[in-house]
Amino acid sequence: MAEKELKKASISVSGMTCASCVANVEQALKGVHGVEKAVVNLATGKAAVEYDPARARLTAMKKAVDEIGYEVVLQSADLQVTGMTCASCVANIEKAVGDLPGVHKVVVNLSAGSARVEYAPDITALTEIKKTILELGYGVVERVEGQQALDRERQARQREIRRQLINLIISATLGMVVMLGTFQPYWFLPSIIPAWLNNKVILFFLTTPIVLGPGRQFFINSWNGLKRGITDMNLLYATGIGAAYLIAVINTFWPEAGFGGREATFYEAAALLTAFIILGRYLEAITRGRTSEAIRRLIKLQPKRARVVREGQEMEVPVEWVEIGDVLAVRPGEAIPVDGVVAEGYSSVDQSMITGESIPVEKKAGDEVIGATMNKTGAFKFRATRVGKETALAQIIKLVEDAQTTKAPIQRIADRVAGQFILGVHALALVTFLFWFFIGFAQWFTPESRLILTPYLLSEMGVFGFALLISVTVLVISCPCAVGLATPSAIMAGSGKGAEYGILFKGADAMEMTSKLQAVIFDKTGTLTKGQPSVTDVVTLDKLAESEVLRLAAVAEKNSEHPLGEAIVRGARERGLEVADAESFNAVPGQGVQASHNGHAILLGNRKLMAEQQVSLDGLAPEAERLESEGKTAMFVAADGRPFGIVAVADTLKETSALAVSELHRMGLQVAMLTGDNRRTAEAIARQVGIDRVLAEVLPEDKTNEVKKLQAEGLKVAMVGDGINDAPALAQADVGIAIGSGTDIAKETGQVILIKDDLLDVVAGLQVARATIRKVKENLFWAFGYNTLAIPLGFGIIYPFTAQVVSPELAALLMATSSLSVTLNTLRMRGFVPTIRRGQRGQIGPLPAGQAALPVSR
Amino acid sequence: MKRVGFISAIIYTGISVLAAGLFLVATMNGYSLVERFGGAGWIFLLAMIILMPIVTPLVKKRLGGDRQP
Repeated sequence: MAEKELKKASISVSGMTCASCVANVEQALKGVHGVEKAVVNLATGKAAVEYDPARARLTAMKKAVDEIGYEVVLQSADLQVTGMTCASCVANIEKAVGDLPGVHKVVVNLSAGSARVEYAPDITALTEIKKTILELGYGVVERVEGQQALDRERQARQREIRRQLINLIISATLGMVVMLGTFQPYWFLPSIIPAWLNNKVILFFLTTPIVLGPGRQFFINSWNGLKRGITDMNLLYATGIGAAYLIAVINTFWPEAGFGGREATFYEAAALLTAFIILGRYLEAITRGRTSEAIRRLIKLQPKRARVVREGQEMEVPVEWVEIGDVLAVRPGEAIPVDGVVAEGYSSVDQSMITGESIPVEKKAGDEVIGATMNKTGAFKFRATRVGKETALAQIIKLVEDAQTTKAPIQRIADRVAGQFILGVHALALVTFLFWFFIGFAQWFTPESRLILTPYLLSEMGVFGFALLISVTVLVISCPCAVGLATPSAIMAGSGKGAEYGILFKGADAMEMTSKLQAVIFDKTGTLTKGQPSVTDVVTLDKLAESEVLRLAAVAEKNSEHPLGEAIVRGARERGLEVADAESFNAVPGQGVQASHNGHAILLGNRKLMAEQQVSLDGLAPEAERLESEGKTAMFVAADGRPFGIVAVADTLKETSALAVSELHRMGLQVAMLTGDNRRTAEAIARQVGIDRVLAEVLPEDKTNEVKKLQAEGLKVAMVGDGINDAPALAQADVGIAIGSGTDIAKETGQVILIKDDLLDVVAGLQVARATIRKVKENLFWAFGYNTLAIPLGFGIIYPFTAQVVSPELAALLMATSSLSVTLNTLRMRGFVPTIRRGQRGQIGPLPAGQAALPVSR
Repeated sequence: MKRVGFISAIIYTGISVLAAGLFLVATMNGYSLVERFGGAGWIFLLAMIILMPIVTPLVKKRLGGDRQP
C-alpha cells in the first residue's frame, strides 16, 4: 500500500486560557478523520497539525475545535474578481475555491465583482486561491494586504487584553468595597467605614455584578466544556466562585438554613476570588502579547515598497509586485526590499537586523544583498534573486514561527500533568469535603476558628459550611493556571532572542537539547579555520626544481574542487607557472588525487595514498614530520611510482575560534575536532586552538561514526559544520549546528542554524538555549511548586494546631501571585544578552601570526 | 456521536446520583436536612465533574464513535 503523504499546517485557535485547553483542542483535532498529529501552543494560540489532505479538511477541523468551545481563527481575503458575467460564474468560482482543502467559506458577489474567502493560509495559500480563479478564466486582484491580517491578529490580542483589563477594574474596585464592607466592624475600620456598608443586602448588590459580569466568562466557558464532557480550569473557578457566592446568598436571605448564619457570608471571597483570577488572566494575556514581539519585530522589518527599474525608468511598486530577475534601485538610507545580487554601484549595508552583525558590510557588484537590511552610504542597483516567501527574512520568520509552535519534551510532560491535574483537584476536593464532614469537623472544630489573615470568626459555621469552605479553597488553591504559559512563553522569548543574534532554533526540542549538550565537535576545515588555505612550503627530492614539483601537483589538482586543490593551483599560478590539464583525474576521498599527464601517473596525497600505491617515502618522511609539527598539511607528490617532493599547505584559524573553544570549556563542555588530517598535524592545530580531544584521519563518510562514538560514551553531542557537506554528521548528532549558512536557510540540515560564519555564535546559541530552559524550569517551579506547597495548606493541615484555615480569596491571591511570577520571570528574558556577546567585539583581534598557519584536510 | 453522549450521560449521572444517595444514607442520623442535602448536592456536582471526562472517552472507545468529517 502506498504510504499516505501527510501535510503540516498551523491553525490559529482562540479562546484557550490554560494547559487543559491545550489538551482539549489537541484531543478534538486528533479526533478528526485524517488528522495524524496535533500539537497546540498556548502562548502562540496555534495548533500545528499533521494531516492527510485526502481525508481531513479544514471545515472538519474547525468544526471539531468550535464544538468544544474554542474558535479557529481564519484569515479572510477580499478579492476583486473581473470577467464574471452571470450567476454560473459565481457558482463556478464558489465550487472551485470551496473545494480547496484550506478554504472554509467563499462568498462571491457578482454585482460587486468581489469574492470574500475565509481560509487557513498554512493549508491553502492565497496565491493558490487566486491561481484557481485565474485558471477558471477570470481576473483576480487582492484587496487586502498581508499586513492587515497581521494587524487583525494583533488587534484581537489587544481586544482580549482590554477586555480583561475592564473586567479587572470592575471586579477589583467593587471587590475592594465589598472587602471593606465585610470587615467594617473590625480593627479601626468602624471609624472610617460607614456601618451600612456591612449590611449583607448591600454586599449582595455589590457582589452580584462582579459574579455575573466579569465572573460570567468562567461559568459560560465551563458550561460549554461540560456539555461536551470536558473539564478545564474555568470549571475550578466557576465552582469556587459559585459555591462562595451561593453560601453568601443563602446566609443573607435564609440565615437559619444552617450554612453558618449571617456572619458567614463570604461575599468578599466571591468578589476577590473573581478579581484575583481575572488578574491572573490579564497577566497571561499580556505575557502572550509580549513574547510574540520578536516575530512582530521581524515582520515589521519587511519593506513595503520597492523601486523597480523598468525600461530605464525607476518606478515605485508594492514589494509584492517584485519578481525574480527584476532590477531594483536602492538609495542611501533605504531598506533593501528583497534578496538579490548587486548589479552596479557600491555601498555599505547594515545587516544587523538579520545576521546580528554589528558592523556594516561593504557591497559591490556581484555581492549578495539581503532583503530588509539597511543601505547606509552609497546607491546601487541589484537583481532580485528571491522574493516573497523565499527571502531570507521570510524564511527566518517561518523558522521562528515553526519553532514556537513546537513543544519541548519538558512541556509535553507539564501539559500532561496539568491536564490530569484538574481531575485530580476535583477528586481531592471531594476527599477533602468528606474528610472534614465526617472526621475533621468533629475532631478539631472550635468556635474560635478563623480564616488566615482575617478577624473573621467561624463560630456559627456548621459541619456542611465548614467542609464546603475547605473543599472550595482546595479547588481554587490547586489550580495550575500558570503552567500553560510557563514553557511556551519562555521558549518564544528564547527563540526570538536567538533570532536577534542570527541564531535560529528549528524547534523547542532543539533548544532543550542544546541546553543539555555536554560535547561539541567542530569540523576543522571551514569551521574552525577560514577554509582558504595557501601553499607555504615546497620540498623537493632528486635535485628537482621546486617549481616542477608544484607544477605537477597543480596539474593533478586542476580539476579538483577541494579547497586544498584550489590552493595548490592558485599557488602555482601566483608563481607564474602554467598549469596544464590532466588527461585523467580521480579523487580518492580522505587520501588525495590520482591524475595522468603526458603519459605520467601523478599522485598527490597523504601517507595512506602513498602506502596504498607502494610509493616509498624514505627521503621525505622527516621533512613531512617537520612541516606537520608546524601545523601544516604535507602533501606528497609522486610520479610513476617515484616520490618527487612535498607541497605544504596551511589554512588559517578564524579569529574567534580560540575564544569560542575556551568559552565552551569554561561552560563545562568537552570540545572535539574532527579532521581528515593525520593525528600529529591535527594535534598541532588542536593545541593552537585549545581543543582537548582530536578525532583525526577521519574519512568524510566516517564523520557520522565518530559522532556515534562520542554518543556511545553517554554524551549529548553537537556537531558544528557546514550544513550541506557535513549533513549526515549533523543529522546524527543530538544537535546539528549549521554554521555560516547565510541567507538560504531552508536548505540547511541541522536543528540550529547560525546565519553568520562566527564560532562565537555557537557559544551564544548555547547560552541562549541554557538561559531559555533555565527560564522554563524557573517558570514551572513557580507554577507547580506553588501548588505543591499550597495544597496541604488549603486542605487545612495547619487547622488542628492553629484553628485557622486559608480563605478562598487568599487562595486566589496566591494563585495570581504564581501567574505574576511566571509573567515577570519570562519578561526578564527580554533584557537577556548572551555573555559572549556582552561588549566582546572590541576584545577579539586576529591571532598572533605564529598561530595562524593550519593544515587542511580532505 | 449523540448515542455516545446519551449513554455516557446515563452512566456518569447514575454513578453521581448513587454517590449522593450513599451520602444521604450515611448521614441519616445526627445531621440536619440542610447539611445532608447540601452535602449530597456538592458530592453529586463533584462526582459529575470527575466522571464526565473519564466516562465519555471510555464509552466512545467501546462504541467506536470516532468523529467523522
